[in-house]
Amino acid sequence: MTATATTPRVPADSRGPRASRVGRVTGSPVLRLVVKRLLMAIPIMLGVTVLTFWVLSLIPGNAAQQLLGPEATPEDIALLEQQLGLDKPGVVRYLEWLQGAVTGDLGQSIVSRQPVSEILSQRLPVTGEIVLLAFVVSLVLAIPVALLAAHKPDGVMDRISMVVSTLGLSVANYVLALLLVLVFAVTLGWLPAIGFVPLEDGLWPNLRSMILPSAAIGLPLFCFYTRFLRGDLVDQMQQEEYVTTARAKGVGSWSVLIKHAFRNSSFGLITIVGLNLGALIGGTVIIEQIFALPGIGQMLLQAINTRDFVVVQAAVVIFALVAVLANLIVDLLYAVLDPRIRYGSS
Amino acid sequence: MSKRTATYASGDSGVSEGVIDPVSLGKPSRASAAQPGEPLLVVEDLRVQFTRGGRKINAVNGLSYELTPGSMMAIIGESGSGKSVSSRALMGLLPPTAKITGSVRFEGRELIGMPERDMRALRGGDIAMVFQDPARSLNPTMKIGAQITEAVKLHSDLDKKGAHARAVELLKLVRLPAAERRFHEYPHQLSGGMRQRVMIAIALAGEPRLLIADEATTALDVTTQAQIMELLVELQQRLGMAVIMISHDLGLAASYAQDVVVMYAGRAVEHAPTGTLFANVRMPYTHALLGAIPALDREPHSLFEVTPGQPPDLSALPKGCPFRPRCPNATDKCLDDPPLTEHEPEHWWACWHPVGSGLGNDPGPRAGTGPLDPAVAADDPGLADGPDEAAGPGRHHTPNGEQR
Amino acid sequence: MAVVEPAPSFSLGPEIDQAEAKAGGRGRGRWRNNLGTWIPAGLILFVLVACFLGPTLLSLPSPVGGNILESNQPALSPGHILGTDPNGNDILSRLLNGGRSSLWIAVAVNLIGLAIGGTLGALSGYVGGIADTIIMRLLDVLIAFPSLVLTLAVAQALGPSMTNTIFALAFFSIPAFARVARSAVLRLREMPFMAAAQLSGTTARRMLFKHLAPNIAPQLITFGMLGMGIVIIIEGALSFLGLGIPDPAPSWGNMVATGQLSLSATPMLVVWPSVALLVTVLAFNLLGENLRARWSGR
Repeated sequence: MTATATTPRVPADSRGPRASRVGRVTGSPVLRLVVKRLLMAIPIMLGVTVLTFWVLSLIPGNAAQQLLGPEATPEDIALLEQQLGLDKPGVVRYLEWLQGAVTGDLGQSIVSRQPVSEILSQRLPVTGEIVLLAFVVSLVLAIPVALLAAHKPDGVMDRISMVVSTLGLSVANYVLALLLVLVFAVTLGWLPAIGFVPLEDGLWPNLRSMILPSAAIGLPLFCFYTRFLRGDLVDQMQQEEYVTTARAKGVGSWSVLIKHAFRNSSFGLITIVGLNLGALIGGTVIIEQIFALPGIGQMLLQAINTRDFVVVQAAVVIFALVAVLANLIVDLLYAVLDPRIRYGSS
Repeated sequence: MSKRTATYASGDSGVSEGVIDPVSLGKPSRASAAQPGEPLLVVEDLRVQFTRGGRKINAVNGLSYELTPGSMMAIIGESGSGKSVSSRALMGLLPPTAKITGSVRFEGRELIGMPERDMRALRGGDIAMVFQDPARSLNPTMKIGAQITEAVKLHSDLDKKGAHARAVELLKLVRLPAAERRFHEYPHQLSGGMRQRVMIAIALAGEPRLLIADEATTALDVTTQAQIMELLVELQQRLGMAVIMISHDLGLAASYAQDVVVMYAGRAVEHAPTGTLFANVRMPYTHALLGAIPALDREPHSLFEVTPGQPPDLSALPKGCPFRPRCPNATDKCLDDPPLTEHEPEHWWACWHPVGSGLGNDPGPRAGTGPLDPAVAADDPGLADGPDEAAGPGRHHTPNGEQR
Repeated sequence: MAVVEPAPSFSLGPEIDQAEAKAGGRGRGRWRNNLGTWIPAGLILFVLVACFLGPTLLSLPSPVGGNILESNQPALSPGHILGTDPNGNDILSRLLNGGRSSLWIAVAVNLIGLAIGGTLGALSGYVGGIADTIIMRLLDVLIAFPSLVLTLAVAQALGPSMTNTIFALAFFSIPAFARVARSAVLRLREMPFMAAAQLSGTTARRMLFKHLAPNIAPQLITFGMLGMGIVIIIEGALSFLGLGIPDPAPSWGNMVATGQLSLSATPMLVVWPSVALLVTVLAFNLLGENLRARWSGR
């Protein structure tokens, strides 16, 4: 298949087995699915948090040293460590943290003494907005472009979209971000180069400050989705017999593509989007840094630099949680949309 | 699985005969579109060529046949004989990369080169098709009702309600048990036999005059296969449509078809009414096919006759008769292409040394071991000529209109 | 790569597929396919030669310790084809030397991933059972972990240096390769020839090296090509954030980062390393895609 054009690197076992695994569940498939996936998420979340604690414990220096600076005496540092609870063994600190975390208390920042939940409530909306904008724009653009490309494989539209998406997938998002700034902020002066304007200051100023960061994330994403969807559509059109049936009925080529092939390809697209979300959130770190946006990514970088491990841990939990939840939502969407799973048949 | 079979077995009693008026399914105004006695479909020197990586694959090489309205004809051949490709070619279902030449006239209208717009009205309208694997031929994400209604709407002016009623009517016509309920189900909820009934219902939506069943029963178990074939025969007679059944199963063809066309390497090698053909097989290839069918009157533990060699390489056909490298009767004369000729009334074959002509079935003077050995022939550029020459135009005789 | 792939193959059921198989699976679009492989391969070779031999062949000045008096010279100035940066270092020299470290890191990370991850994944898939479950759950944890976060933490923990960057990035190449190897092995296990080999009493060792390894190698190599691009990008990101190659030494990532500070005044400081990054990653992606297309046999 030319659809090898699907650059998107989907884990090979992410589609088929998912369907069959889910398919075996009987009774109320959707409910059991949710429970099963949530149970599976627990060891993953535990593993992620343990790993974070372990990795952080390897980082030389702690928050006490960072807070007091290089001239502090060992006695001062020891005292502050005691006050901050940093003198306890790692295992104890992890268990204490875990105890709080399961009740929804992620602790308070070692450095600013601000409750983590409060920091998150300021930071999450910023990151959420960038990601949401990037997602919506990339999907809204990718679907029609992929349909146009797949309608005539190897046609003009197909070739153009292929060249653009190949380039888009090879460009690092920080490079893209700087090139966007260079063109639209520095040269043309249409958009602000950096900075964040909150929504309270008006929708348009807010959107203006979000356009370049979202584009830096969304453009590669758009290429990725276009590439994937186009490949899957071409596969469906060329290899699936139900497409021949539809054509044999006298259905026109666009209707076959949209009503029949796209309907089936959309499942693959949903999987890809879900798998992407986790990686995407992590990718905002560098973009937030470049555009000086007060989101989760920027918070994480600052926290690592100040050894504010409570905040780092919170950021990691959020990232991992998003990845796990995105997977769960994909499974649920499958269960709701795909009749083969909805009815729990094999 | 057992549940499905049970549901299915009880199916036929679910519909009372005569509820559906077969006449309502015909289009009286069109019934006499073709002159009486004129063939419904005339295929003449049909050729299909694919180009793959610079190599030309000749899937169909000068296929010719005619089809009488309302009759059932079988096209028989092994994989790669071009039986499926030729039927998809006349439906315009091949990818645009396929080069199609020759002539296919349906009710006097030329189909090859017909604009896509007109072709689309014909597809699923006058000519419909049922495919091999009903599990793959139905859209897994659409309810079967919607899939039939889509076909109904495309070929009629019925509104939503009318199309729905018509679709249910069609499901009853193909004897799908509990049609009203099944209407709202998805393909995976149906058994293989039921899915194929749905496929037939979709095919019937446009009130076709020709139904092409492409290995329509191959994927089904034997019991279901018989039920589907009975259904096709019954529908053919009730609705007065012609059926082309494409199959690799000579036995199945013998049981149901009135005419049989045997294909090899993309062309017809023998063509006769079923009775004539089986009473008097002439083409060694057909003979070899018959020898591979198990039969009760066979001596226990006797070996099947196996046709030696491989089906021909469609990108490098041997010079002359394509069956020559595998044929027990082959001689040097077979380096000339034998034309498909009506040697006996209504019995056409393409062979210089037919079975029963003296050289008969005996091992015979196999034409040498050297140059005619298939392996050698394939490697020798002098013998294995380019496909264009091997199947060049005007090389063989076609049955044209002289038949019947 | 798909841009130069010939018309897609249509499956027309066994008839044509068989005919196509006879026509020789690899024969299709041989010339164009080869072009699709050789152009990116040639590009990669060019980048390699330029980065590893270029500084010597062109007798370029050292990438560090430039004369501050020669700072910010424009392109095509004498002795500095691409000009100099604010510290007076030759930009071309920094570009080529920076590329050298990026490529070293990318090769090392992928080789580690291939050796450890590939073996782990293949064994896990081949042995199955509890071992497989445990290994895959552990890898799930790593995968659920946002990649940049872990790299950041590891880079912070170990301090910025080339070896530590390799170590940090290997955290991701190992599970990624393991997943690819495992799914390839799982697919292979279903193949009749595997069962045949097993039934005929082939030793486990022979199974692994004679039957499994040659069959999963193409997939791993293809993935490695794509992985080269990914690692070059992530390494750039780390250096960009100051956690990769430490500062005076050049790398494409830290060149972009320092260039960003004077983006409006001297945009070429960002443009040159960006172009180098783009071209190199593009070449690896194109090669990977093309190999994938060829080896998937379609």
